[in-house]
Amino acid sequence: MSPNDSLGSLTARQRLVAVVLVAAVIGAVFAPVAYSATNEPSDTVAVVEIEGPVNAALADDVESELAEIRSNESVGAVVLKIDTPGGAPAASERMYKAVQRTSEQMPVIASVQATSASGGYYAMAPADRIYVLPTSVVGSIGLNAPAPQSSPPVAGPSGPDKVGSNEIESWARQQTLADTFINAMMAERGDRFEMPREDVANADVYLGTVAVQNGFADEIGSLNEAIHAAATEAELGEYRVDTRETGPDEGLPFLIRTDEQVVAIHANDPGYGDVEPMGMAYVHLGSVPHVDTVERFSGSELETADAAGVGSDGSGQSGGSATPSADPSAGGEAS
Amino acid sequence: MNRVGTLALAFVVTVGVIVGGAAALGLLTADGAAPAPEIENEHYLEEDLISDRTPGEANVTMSSSEPPKTILVDPGIEAAGQRPATPFAMLGFGGPDVADRDIRPLVNALTENGHEVRVYTPEGGGEQRPRQEPSGANGETQLGAELQEADAFVTFRTDYSEAEVDAIESFVEGEGTLLAASDPGDEFGQPAAAAFDSRLGVTTKPGYVYNTAENDLNYQRVYAEPGTDAGLTEGVDRAVFPLATPVGAATSTAELRPIAGSELSTTRAETDAPVLVRSGSVVRIGDTDFLSPENAQRADNDVLIGNIADFLVTGDRPAAGVSEPTGPTEPSEPTSGERQPSGSESSEPAPEA
Repeated sequence: MSPNDSLGSLTARQRLVAVVLVAAVIGAVFAPVAYSATNEPSDTVAVVEIEGPVNAALADDVESELAEIRSNESVGAVVLKIDTPGGAPAASERMYKAVQRTSEQMPVIASVQATSASGGYYAMAPADRIYVLPTSVVGSIGLNAPAPQSSPPVAGPSGPDKVGSNEIESWARQQTLADTFINAMMAERGDRFEMPREDVANADVYLGTVAVQNGFADEIGSLNEAIHAAATEAELGEYRVDTRETGPDEGLPFLIRTDEQVVAIHANDPGYGDVEPMGMAYVHLGSVPHVDTVERFSGSELETADAAGVGSDGSGQSGGSATPSADPSAGGEAS
Repeated sequence: MNRVGTLALAFVVTVGVIVGGAAALGLLTADGAAPAPEIENEHYLEEDLISDRTPGEANVTMSSSEPPKTILVDPGIEAAGQRPATPFAMLGFGGPDVADRDIRPLVNALTENGHEVRVYTPEGGGEQRPRQEPSGANGETQLGAELQEADAFVTFRTDYSEAEVDAIESFVEGEGTLLAASDPGDEFGQPAAAAFDSRLGVTTKPGYVYNTAENDLNYQRVYAEPGTDAGLTEGVDRAVFPLATPVGAATSTAELRPIAGSELSTTRAETDAPVLVRSGSVVRIGDTDFLSPENAQRADNDVLIGNIADFLVTGDRPAAGVSEPTGPTEPSEPTSGERQPSGSESSEPAPEA
């Protein structure tokens, strides 16, 4: 009754205005909550790491991270932090497609650390821009595969190509695979390459300083500069950086090359079962040590070397008995 | 009650309009709400992307009607008993470049036309590149002895010992026909090949020829074309050389040169240096794989192989076994002088082994 009493001195119109005003104030209090609930600010730059040899496990992670990023409305831009010599063709293509799809949705900038070659280059090609350090190495657009060889017939399989194949057919398959890669790169960056397709197909690698001139990269800049550029492009005001680690926690294979091809070695002290020949690979050979340069160390030898003051410079090797044959004496001098 | 109801309705409508409007505005301006677009990657669908995988067919024929000759082939294959040197060898790496099947297109053509082909198999137990010591007082080698019984010699090696090169040189000087093939990998071996080439008056040039614009399914599988349509190159429009190094000769009478646009790996510049030359009775080829069964089916390689077979049997080497009779396996042919002038017809068939 008392509200009616207090409102009794007001006309009906005045009462209505008063109620609307009160409602407007209450509405204004809740309006920002409602607005932000439906429109989260895109205030995050996601940094997706693509590091180490390109293989299925890495592609799994990169695909799922990028898929999550695409559906996460708080992420406004992506930076790919890349350091890889390349690897398996299918894994490279999977990452390429994932980056391409993400790039359709938001700014994607690639930031090359030491190397982004071959399959690594494939993966980052759809990025809006490629940042490189002056000493980064990029390129190697091509297929690494041993020359197809005829092999003795095997009795039993249901068809002639089930086991073994025809040399010429294999040559054709390899050339098609190489052209698939090269065509994709021409489609992505053909307008930026300062060279014809034929020269791109030479599969050369270029230092960052050269790459920004010949169109294999766009800017000289570090990871932080790439992040800032991505945020600027996405028109993020204040932003935070969310780094997404990818790849298996352990078990990344060593890539070793022989005179014939590249093999993935899945153990520090490999048996035959741990050595997996990679029939075909998008890989930059210059970044892959030759088997002749790989030496075998045992743990005790490393301890002895450490005790002698050798190799104690925190080089943080991948901790195995199979490490590239860095000259221990040279390491000692460096430390 | 009616008034209170009106006021309550006004309250609800006002709050609803403001909060709902804000929500709708947020929804309308939200980032990433649109579904991901379909991406057309037309570069994966281009018609000319797929390379032609048809292996092709070969028809190696000889036009020569020469009487039966003996052709010795040194494929440089490992003797039996080799075991892999490294675990990687067990995976199939390494091994001989030229296997039995690789010489079959040539050998079969020769055999079908009545000629005899022998394969030089070095004695000495599992050494791939045996350095044979002279076994006789006059420097006789196993190779020399076998060459004495041959009219033509086909070799896929160049790293012969000095005594063997002596035997090969005297074989050529005795009107023997020689075809020597090597590939660019050989230049990374010991320098014996340089002496081999020098004695024969031919050269090879470090590096391999490639062509990224026009090739047979790989940049290293280059096409080569003849300058003239006669002799070795008769009927050959172009031949495929899977991994070729440039060769040369002081005076060549036939040659195949890579097509325009081909480049040399060491210079990255265009090259027209030949990959096959003929200098008298010597043919030097910078490729060892062009006559394998699969490669014989590419371009006009089958015609070229037929021409090579004709070349091998059209030499004027006199009756084999003309050298000094020192080897224990000397044939019983009468010697008729060490270097016969080329005019004499070698009408006699080669001696049987």
